[in-house]
Amino acid sequence: MSMRAASGRGGRSRWINLGSFLSLLLLWVLVTTPFGDKPLVAPLFLPSPLAVWNTFLTLIQNGYQGKSLWYHLGISLFRFSLAFTLTVIVAVPLGLWMGMNETVKAVLDPPIEISRPMPKLALLPLLIIWFGIGEVAKVVIIVLALFPILSISAMQAVRGVGRRKVQAAMALGASRGMIFRRVIFPASLPGIFTSVRVCIGLGVTMLVGAEMIATSAGIAYMAMSASDFLLTNVVIVGALIMATLGYSLDLCARALENHIVHWGGKEG
Amino acid sequence: MAAGDVSHVKARFDQVSKRFGNGPDAVQALEPITLDIAENAFVCLVGPSGCGKSTLLNILAGFETATSGQALMDGQPVRGPDPRRGVVFQQGALFTWMSVQDNVAFGPLATGKSKAEAARIAARYLEMVGLSSFAKRYPYELSGGMQQRVGIARALANDPQILLMDEPFAALDAQTRELLQEEIKRIWQSTRKTVLWITHSIEEALFLATDIVVMSARPGRIKARLAPQFALSEDPAVVASAEFVRMKAQIFGMLREEALTAQQQEAAR
Repeated sequence: MSMRAASGRGGRSRWINLGSFLSLLLLWVLVTTPFGDKPLVAPLFLPSPLAVWNTFLTLIQNGYQGKSLWYHLGISLFRFSLAFTLTVIVAVPLGLWMGMNETVKAVLDPPIEISRPMPKLALLPLLIIWFGIGEVAKVVIIVLALFPILSISAMQAVRGVGRRKVQAAMALGASRGMIFRRVIFPASLPGIFTSVRVCIGLGVTMLVGAEMIATSAGIAYMAMSASDFLLTNVVIVGALIMATLGYSLDLCARALENHIVHWGGKEG
Repeated sequence: MAAGDVSHVKARFDQVSKRFGNGPDAVQALEPITLDIAENAFVCLVGPSGCGKSTLLNILAGFETATSGQALMDGQPVRGPDPRRGVVFQQGALFTWMSVQDNVAFGPLATGKSKAEAARIAARYLEMVGLSSFAKRYPYELSGGMQQRVGIARALANDPQILLMDEPFAALDAQTRELLQEEIKRIWQSTRKTVLWITHSIEEALFLATDIVVMSARPGRIKARLAPQFALSEDPAVVASAEFVRMKAQIFGMLREEALTAQQQEAAR
């Protein structure tokens, strides 16, 4: 395969990406600019990009409801990172174990499979009764959403490890421990990374849900409460910050993935 | 060595049979087979698809258990995989996440060698297969032929007493395959490791083997044993000799008959 052709295609895609992004921005500018006496869409529904930018600068300067923008962002990040880290630390090893051991899988499969399709936000009122209105309920709701995805995909990743690779390791004299550490675990990493990235998007979504009730801080809370006062600019700033957050986290995960599982999807 | 020499039996299949499944759906893959593999011999198993040659190799490797009978190495029954038996697969068995060097050093490390020692051994076998300059590369950066060389070096690195090779060159293009066959011949001539080699290619078997075992269509039986003399030759042109061509036609005739039987079996299912 020609490497140059591949990178040429990649380069072309990037230009199209940029063009697509700029067209959206241009559309936004066009419908919010007053050509005549008023813009196509009223500022109450959609403020102009410049107005949103100015609101953003004001928020940085003055904060929102007595708390700085950094505080709101920090508390959102804290909730997300704590929940995400906890899930990865528990769900991935558990999923690996389920993949290695039929008994463990038989025990843990039913609760995970039953809870998987359940909309976790529906549990939020219950979690608030159980854990109160503090941070615990918010972290738990995110964990509940991510846990089944990560554990099941770690299990599937183990079960998908090529039989020949395991046989080769056995024929080379590797112990069970060495087969796990140096064959099954690394061979599962590409699959695990894929679901980690899925979980980043879902985690940010769950964060928005968790911040909609019983809190007075967080980026999603800021957007939610601003909508009560029809502060559309603030709502949009909040939405864009969440989008940027999700996108940057995904970029970090992708960079980590390319670095650690550089062999992913390639056979040898 | 050719049959008739008084030589040590390295591995033996003693009335080994294999049946997959139970009840009416069961498939008899192998009829009871008895086969001796002499030390230093290069034994090629040829036979139609589905005749159970891979099953036979897997039983000696310890990946599968025989339904009846047993496989023995040096008189000891095989009970699972063992580093004294090196295995090379067709493809997809390299550790993609490790460099070429780490792949080859895996066996020595697994069998208790120190890191430094394992690295020395890996370097030696990578040189043997001509891949010294690719030690730091990853398998996916290598061509199919080079990947198979890594697989061979990895199996050799444990200095096994027998090499079990399951169609190692089947996925390669013809030119690469021929070059690797010459290389395997050179390695075998210099190490005289005992080899059990499975192939579809009659030429490959004739070019490499000291013993060719022709198997029947399923359920697999031994149909014929031949002892070609080309394995000891250093001349790649032996393939054009009259004797080579005659034996090729002979085996071709036997296999054609079995392949037709195999086809009828498929159609009858």
